[in-house]
Amino acid sequence: MKGFTVAVLVWTLISPSRGSKAWPTHTVCRDGNLEVLYQSCDPLQDFGFSVDPCSKHLKAKLNIRFGMILREDIKELFLDIALFTKGSSILNFSYPICEEDLPKFSFCGRRKGEQIYFAGPINNPGFEILPGKYHVLLELYNGDRSTVACANATVISS
Amino acid sequence: MMASHASCFLLAVVFSASCKAITSLNQMCTEKEANNTYNCENLGLTGVPDTLPNTTEFLEFGFNFLPTLENTTFSRLVDLIFLDLTRCQINWVHEDTFQNHHQLNTIVLTGNPLIFMAETSLNGPTSLQHLFLIQTGISSLEFIPSQNLENLESLYLGSNHISSIKFPENFPTQNLKVLDFQNNAIHYLSSEDLHALEKTTNLSLNFNGNDIKGIETGAFRSKIFQSLNFGGTLNLSVVLKGLQNSTTQSLWLGSYEDTDDEDLTSAMFDGLCEMSVESINLQKQYISDISSATFRCFTQLQELDLTANHLNELPSGIKGMKALKKLVLNVNGFDQLCHIRAASFPSLLDLSIKGNKRKLDLGAGCLEKLENLQKLDLSHSDIEASDCCNLQLKNLSHLQYLNLSYNEPLGLQSQAFKECPRLEGLDLAFTRWYVKGPQSPFQNLHILQVLNLSHCLLDTSNQHLLTGLVDLRHLNLQGNHFQDGSISKTNLLQTLRSLEILILSSCDLLSIDKQAFQSLGKLSHVDLSYNNLMGNSIDALSHLQGIYLNMAANNIHVIPSHLLPTLSQQSTINLSHNPLDCTCSNIHFITWYKENLQKFEASEDTKCINPPSLKGVKLSDVKLSCGITAMGIFFLVVFLFLIAILLIFSVKFLLRWKYQHI
Repeated sequence: MKGFTVAVLVWTLISPSRGSKAWPTHTVCRDGNLEVLYQSCDPLQDFGFSVDPCSKHLKAKLNIRFGMILREDIKELFLDIALFTKGSSILNFSYPICEEDLPKFSFCGRRKGEQIYFAGPINNPGFEILPGKYHVLLELYNGDRSTVACANATVISS
Repeated sequence: MMASHASCFLLAVVFSASCKAITSLNQMCTEKEANNTYNCENLGLTGVPDTLPNTTEFLEFGFNFLPTLENTTFSRLVDLIFLDLTRCQINWVHEDTFQNHHQLNTIVLTGNPLIFMAETSLNGPTSLQHLFLIQTGISSLEFIPSQNLENLESLYLGSNHISSIKFPENFPTQNLKVLDFQNNAIHYLSSEDLHALEKTTNLSLNFNGNDIKGIETGAFRSKIFQSLNFGGTLNLSVVLKGLQNSTTQSLWLGSYEDTDDEDLTSAMFDGLCEMSVESINLQKQYISDISSATFRCFTQLQELDLTANHLNELPSGIKGMKALKKLVLNVNGFDQLCHIRAASFPSLLDLSIKGNKRKLDLGAGCLEKLENLQKLDLSHSDIEASDCCNLQLKNLSHLQYLNLSYNEPLGLQSQAFKECPRLEGLDLAFTRWYVKGPQSPFQNLHILQVLNLSHCLLDTSNQHLLTGLVDLRHLNLQGNHFQDGSISKTNLLQTLRSLEILILSSCDLLSIDKQAFQSLGKLSHVDLSYNNLMGNSIDALSHLQGIYLNMAANNIHVIPSHLLPTLSQQSTINLSHNPLDCTCSNIHFITWYKENLQKFEASEDTKCINPPSLKGVKLSDVKLSCGITAMGIFFLVVFLFLIAILLIFSVKFLLRWKYQHI
């Protein structure tokens, strides 16, 4: 265990040489058939994220948890998702999370500088993740098109 | 043990390394307005940089490191009006910190772990109006130094640990207009709590994200508010009962996807009979026994928002909602427009059914009783109609604004909007529509000012398509295609003599005829960006003056010198993202560009592509000398000399030949 700690520390020591903007890769979830990893692509900060349950038979209304510091107001908040596999794009979509006339979540309207922690259901459809390796680019941005969060994720389903 | 020592050592090294990285950063604030507005966020600063001028009025200083604020911290910047200190890890705000900042109007302290603020820490400003203390760990309102808050208009106290809204006795509340308690731990509101707000007028009070479990009877009696927000409250009946005998302009009682709330019953709204409200929002609520009786106490209401209320229909026979001016039914599941029973709301001016979750059938004459309707939004609702829109919009003779954007294909005949002759704005963006033959669907819209037809896949070869729009000021044709990628001399725009704003971006245009816009004499804004136009298309604008011209992201290499007068006439030009030529063939334009730099927008992105040596260089930085060099003159002289010799020899030869043959 101690050896592991040292290894992690050595790794953190070496990692700045890759450029100070690279954040560590975190595990969203891992079970027998599914592994989801992500890395923040916002040069200013990292954020925390997890999903439950973790299964390749993705359930509708997943519970997620996330924690981060807001660097922008989120009266308006939009999510862009781009899904790639084997280098080709399969899916692109944009989804409004907070709008002036429809703040869907209780955190809508929070201000720049607030630390937010969200644990609750999201309104996702259920589907089966086919075996393969996927790359997902997620970006949250506000009404001024300023980045709120950005993630490079990898989904490995077997 | 050894390993833990080693890891401590390594930790220390890591920390020192990261500190070094922070201090070695090039610390530069961004200037937003010279000598006045600066952004110094995320720079790891521990004080005001020397580069900042003394005259700075607006300063964004968030995400830096200022554990202690004292009177020396900002002493140099005496003209400050707005100071944002979001998340600067401030622990202490000492005495007289803002003593010399008489003009200071807004202080933002959001996200700082405040331990103590001195009694006189906010003294100094003569008119401090806005104070943000969001997520600063406050658990009691006594924490806020109240000596200099007589002029305070807005106080933001969200995301703290506040459980009571009772202000200390001497706290000046008389000028408060906005009091925001979002996401605190307020569960009970007593008469005494509200008594401290007696002196306020037209206050907006926000309790969003507090689970209110009780309100003392009469706590809100004879109080007048601008707005009250109880969003996300689990037990709405408590709130509706507690607001008895109060008066408020708007009441926000919506719910969220992540809050578990109870279903509402009609009986809960009985409390509304005992209060005066103009506008109610009930987004994401579910009324389990909806019937005409549900709305018994909504008689005074002017605006009702039932966004995402799981509605398939509204009950028929609703009486007493005759005063309603605005109704929002977005994100519900209506099958037919007639199911909203429009006849219940005869005074309606504004109706929105946006983002309906099912295919919405417009039916025939479903809104015909809404004689006064001025605004109708039916966007994103999967609407499809083969013959639109006279039957569907029957009798809407006062309609001024109609939004049918983001729907399924519509079929439009001639005079398709005959029923709404007073339309001033029409939005059909991203809705495909087809017109059979040379018809004119907008023919009778004589006062239409704004028309959005972007991405409608129009048949632009129909010369009569836009006939009748005599007063049109603003036309958006983005993302439509023209035959052969060119706008010819005769085109569908010719009849639009009042047009001021024309958007033709992303239309795959290759060329525009010199005479194409000849009849559009009033144009003041032309957007031709994201096409494949060459420099000579500018000729089509030669009759216009003082316009905003956007030609970004086109295929302009060279701008011939005879077109420079046309550009000179205009007020603002954008030529960014064009493959501009920076060789001597374009010298006239480049010289002129540098002399008129103030005319150009996005000059940072106006760069050379050719020659390869200048690729990516900003046009404003290019230095070209295209005169003939000394070497060139020498070669020219030698060349002329050789020609002269050749000429003399050939004449000599010719004469000799002639003489020999006499």
